[in-house]
Amino acid sequence: MRGNTIMEKILTPIHKAESRQSAVMRRLMVLGLLPLLMIVLCIVLGMIEPKFLRSANLINVLRNASFLMLIASGQMMVLIIGGFDLSIGAVVALTSVTTALSMNALIAIFPDSYLLVISLGVLAGLGAGAAVGLLNGFVVALMKVSPFMVTLGTLSIASGLALYMTQGVPVYGMPDLFTRDFGRMRIFNLPVVIYLTAAMLILIWWMMNHTKFGKYMYAIGSNEHAARVSGVKVTFYIVATYTACSMVAALTGILLTARVGSGEAGLGATLMMESIAAAVIGGVSLRGGVGRVEMVALGALFLALVTNAMNLLRVDSKLQTIVIGVVIILAVGIETYQSKRVKR
Amino acid sequence: MSDQVNVDASSGSGFYKMMMGFFASYGFLPVILVFLYLGFGLVEPVFLTGANAQNIIEQASYLIVLATAQMFVLLTRGFDLSLGVVVSVVSVASAMVMVSIAPEGEGPVILALTAGIFTALVVGATAGGINGICVAYFGINPFVVTLGMQGIAFGLATTISGGFPVFGLPDTLINTLGQGATWFGFLSPPVGVCIIILLLSHFVLNYTVFGRSIYLLGSNPRAAEVGGLPWRRHNMMAYVLCSTIAAIGAILITARTGTGEPSTGGGLVLLSIAAAVAGGVSLRGGEGRVIHVVFGGLLVSVLSVGMNLARIDSFLQQVVLGFVVVGAVFLDRLRLRIRL
Amino acid sequence: MTTNTTLNPPTATGQSSAANAPLIDMKGIQKRFPGVLALDQIEFELRPGEVHVLFGENGAGKSTLINVISGTFPQDGGTYTFCGEALSNLNPYRARQIGISPVFQEFSLAPDLTIEENLFLGREISKGGVLNKSEMRTKVAQVLDNLGFDLSAKQRVAELSRAQQQMAEIAKALLHDVRVLILDEPTASLSERETERLFEIIDDLKAQGVGIIYVSHRMAEIKRLADRVTVLRDGRLVGTVEAELVSEEKLIEMMTGRTFEAMFPHIENRAGDTLLQTSGLTTRDRLVDNVDFNVKAGEVVGIAGLVGCGKSELARAIFGLEDIESGKIELMGQPVTRPSPAHMLKRGLCYFPSDRVAEGLALPRSVRENMTLAALDLKAFASRGFLKIKSERRIADEMIRRLTVAPGDPEKRVEFLSGGNRQKVMLARGLERDVKVYLFDEPTVGIDVGAKAEIYNLIKEMAEGGAAVVVISSELPEVIHLSHRAYVMHRGALVAELTGEEIVEATILAHFFDRDHLDEAGEPPLQDAG
Repeated sequence: MRGNTIMEKILTPIHKAESRQSAVMRRLMVLGLLPLLMIVLCIVLGMIEPKFLRSANLINVLRNASFLMLIASGQMMVLIIGGFDLSIGAVVALTSVTTALSMNALIAIFPDSYLLVISLGVLAGLGAGAAVGLLNGFVVALMKVSPFMVTLGTLSIASGLALYMTQGVPVYGMPDLFTRDFGRMRIFNLPVVIYLTAAMLILIWWMMNHTKFGKYMYAIGSNEHAARVSGVKVTFYIVATYTACSMVAALTGILLTARVGSGEAGLGATLMMESIAAAVIGGVSLRGGVGRVEMVALGALFLALVTNAMNLLRVDSKLQTIVIGVVIILAVGIETYQSKRVKR
Repeated sequence: MSDQVNVDASSGSGFYKMMMGFFASYGFLPVILVFLYLGFGLVEPVFLTGANAQNIIEQASYLIVLATAQMFVLLTRGFDLSLGVVVSVVSVASAMVMVSIAPEGEGPVILALTAGIFTALVVGATAGGINGICVAYFGINPFVVTLGMQGIAFGLATTISGGFPVFGLPDTLINTLGQGATWFGFLSPPVGVCIIILLLSHFVLNYTVFGRSIYLLGSNPRAAEVGGLPWRRHNMMAYVLCSTIAAIGAILITARTGTGEPSTGGGLVLLSIAAAVAGGVSLRGGEGRVIHVVFGGLLVSVLSVGMNLARIDSFLQQVVLGFVVVGAVFLDRLRLRIRL
Repeated sequence: MTTNTTLNPPTATGQSSAANAPLIDMKGIQKRFPGVLALDQIEFELRPGEVHVLFGENGAGKSTLINVISGTFPQDGGTYTFCGEALSNLNPYRARQIGISPVFQEFSLAPDLTIEENLFLGREISKGGVLNKSEMRTKVAQVLDNLGFDLSAKQRVAELSRAQQQMAEIAKALLHDVRVLILDEPTASLSERETERLFEIIDDLKAQGVGIIYVSHRMAEIKRLADRVTVLRDGRLVGTVEAELVSEEKLIEMMTGRTFEAMFPHIENRAGDTLLQTSGLTTRDRLVDNVDFNVKAGEVVGIAGLVGCGKSELARAIFGLEDIESGKIELMGQPVTRPSPAHMLKRGLCYFPSDRVAEGLALPRSVRENMTLAALDLKAFASRGFLKIKSERRIADEMIRRLTVAPGDPEKRVEFLSGGNRQKVMLARGLERDVKVYLFDEPTVGIDVGAKAEIYNLIKEMAEGGAAVVVISSELPEVIHLSHRAYVMHRGALVAELTGEEIVEATILAHFFDRDHLDEAGEPPLQDAG
């Protein structure tokens, strides 16, 4: 026992006490502050605007948060490997348009088999998402270029394609089974999208914590060189991560399409910013290697609450982008400040 | 005989070397530019007329101004995603100032123009200052800072204008800076302004401490710090300069359309980056010259005018632009490999 | 020793058939990097159960060679045979699979993952991509236990000390079947006790027939461990010798290619006024802890210590690159409050960073621009914010001549220069302005012997010209043969001050470990001993 303490004395870096203290602070910031802030926000809102606490409104918040949670968890994966995906919102638009157009085309061929049409339409949407993700991943991983630049390019490509295919006009005429029965479906009075999101989040959580893929994402983001020399097929996993991110975005696009009832090239325009904001608020590091899906979900919920609050308090919707912009800068600013403190 | 062969061989490898050197410093762009120009000409002979050439150059000049702005930030290893919406805010704000002083050109027009331009520069410099302080002094990732600023500026532009274009600008603005006007009987105003900005930028980059400093800090920020350069201040100034030049571009665009537009900016970020990077300004910082931006701006302009003449869908043009950006990044990387 | 149970012996089949056939046999190995031939015609052989030391100066090609052996870089020429099989297209993953485990100096650990996750990184126990966490946990605990390392599997690597990270790295290499273990200066950050534990493990592995490639500078270690020694210099093979048959002097001569007298100039000691002095200097991260230190005009002061002991941070703190928590700095009798690089340069103190590529030079820019990088505030180069290109050109030309930079083209990009010439370009900044105190941080890392001698002569010139020179170095000979006075640093504190004849390897090394014994004896750690 005594040997142990001496060993510890020798091995413990002198600055450890301090770093442990700030680690605690950080954990408090990440874990404690966000839920606390949300509770305070709810109480204040409930007092100012009783409408907030009505179940219809709360369900609305939860539903909006669901879409954001999904897409933000996709963004999180890319951020964890030290990347960035600006094309995520455009993928939502492209998926929406692809899904709607292919369902419309298929329904002419198989007028009676709605299920087949819907499944194929959904597959087409996911395929479009996967294609963008693959392009992102290949260019980033193989050419080793800045992911900002690449995804900015694919943002233009995906949204251009979506606009071109629809000429900016919403695409109607998808089977009712998809838009009404599925899109508006409720189980125990809760929209089905909430259940789906919960299932997806659990799946992603499991993937991040219990599979090689998840561990490798953290390893690549934490120290790509180390991952490479340890024998991780870094290129493959980077491509896989971008693809997974775009597929999650595609899923969000499909769910949004079902909800809205039409395929729209304008869908998801704000989701790119919001997904980054939610991820960063949830404590995902832009330097890679750090981030947990449950915290990202909380971040998304927080953002949905703030948006809802602004709507209830009749804050101009145009001002809301300002708030999100400020929130992004602040959240990353705080994270930057903290990581500097820890390093020094 | 053998001498002859030797000369040929050496000149062959010399030619190869020269070509490689040319590509390494200018990229493949000038060559692509010539091919594109002739290619569009084959498809659509109108493309090769003098009037069209003038059109291409005018289109390019707006873009080159914005790409020059973006270049200052790219040189520092940064990035300005907010450039487009800053153009919107500046356009709307300066238009509103001008209209409020001299509605429909009735009133003190000169004062209105001066106040409008002053407003533009102040708004631009402020946005750039905020970006610059966050990046240089707080050390926040420039992508994130300017992404946030994009949200903020977009919100501002749509809020103060209510989302509608601002009409009723003084005609004098359009007649002195708009596309139809000419200076000294031959020079189109946007081209003139563009040339002035290019010359000044060239001077600043090559003959001032600030210019040298942003090349050095872009190549290696740590070395700039260890070498005692005032790198934070210079890094911030690059953002201020970027947004201020973008504000000048915004005035030109406002004069062209004759309205303050809250939504012009959206696509301009991508265009400005595409032009700068396609021209050969490196995303890794520290590399890029004014001439690169000129090539890049011409490329994007030739493409867009050409596609318009070939009646390619405007949405499809956006797709092409996306591929140009990805391709430009790809070539940027390739150029690095050739050099090493 | 109980290690046998987990440190699986190499598969028996390959062993018995060729008992003493070499594990690794390399012939005519070449490796080229942009602008340099890093390895030229290298022959190297490793037998089972042998400790083969790679010996050479920094930049001699040792790291490149072990990177080729472990598959990080493919060789450009020559043959690489492993257990009688020619290897081609080797990558790190395959290398580990066939039992080649490297332990690099720059660790292959992901700081955000736990020790356990790091040990298994790339070789997780899994089924269909799903991790078997409990099995991995058991195995890690077993290995750590058997190695006798005090590490807990759940700690995040970012929270470990450098020594702990080193041990984690070694554990990672030993987790799976090992046939060749590569250790790159493993003791550079370990305490004496940890080092002794490592040596026991090495003896154990030897007995099991594992081949060990050991990179080291330290004579004592070579004496203790080595069976054979291969000496490299400037990317070329000098020779392979039996450790028992070679003397220390001979090895050093092989390494440097010349005798000490030819290498290190004699520097007159004309110590004058104290130019730089610190008292109680402590940085925010405590890597420098309560340091009292001084250097006089005309004097060369060396600072030695283990990697990570804070010797580099001391200079960086004085130059304004580390946050200072408390203490005083006095430069030429004047107190310095809030040092910053610009400020210190103005006042006549120049720091040359150890990592030229990361901190010293803007590689894609020209020699001329890099030479004046730290002098743009001078009237000679700029006034009112405008550059004076002509006078800049003139002075760059002068510097190129004076420092014999090759090629002599001031417009050449620095990235095309060799290590030695890059270093000279960086040193030019100290000659362009009136500098009274020079702080050299690892001045000869990664440069060839010729350039080294030139830099030592430059240091002589500076000191004899009346400047105060501080040489911080991990190369003991440098500290020993250049300094008039030397400090030894340990865990952020100066633990010894040696003068003149006292500055010898044995004395310095003794102080490297001093404090461990005191701690062990249960005495309170010294407050400071500078």
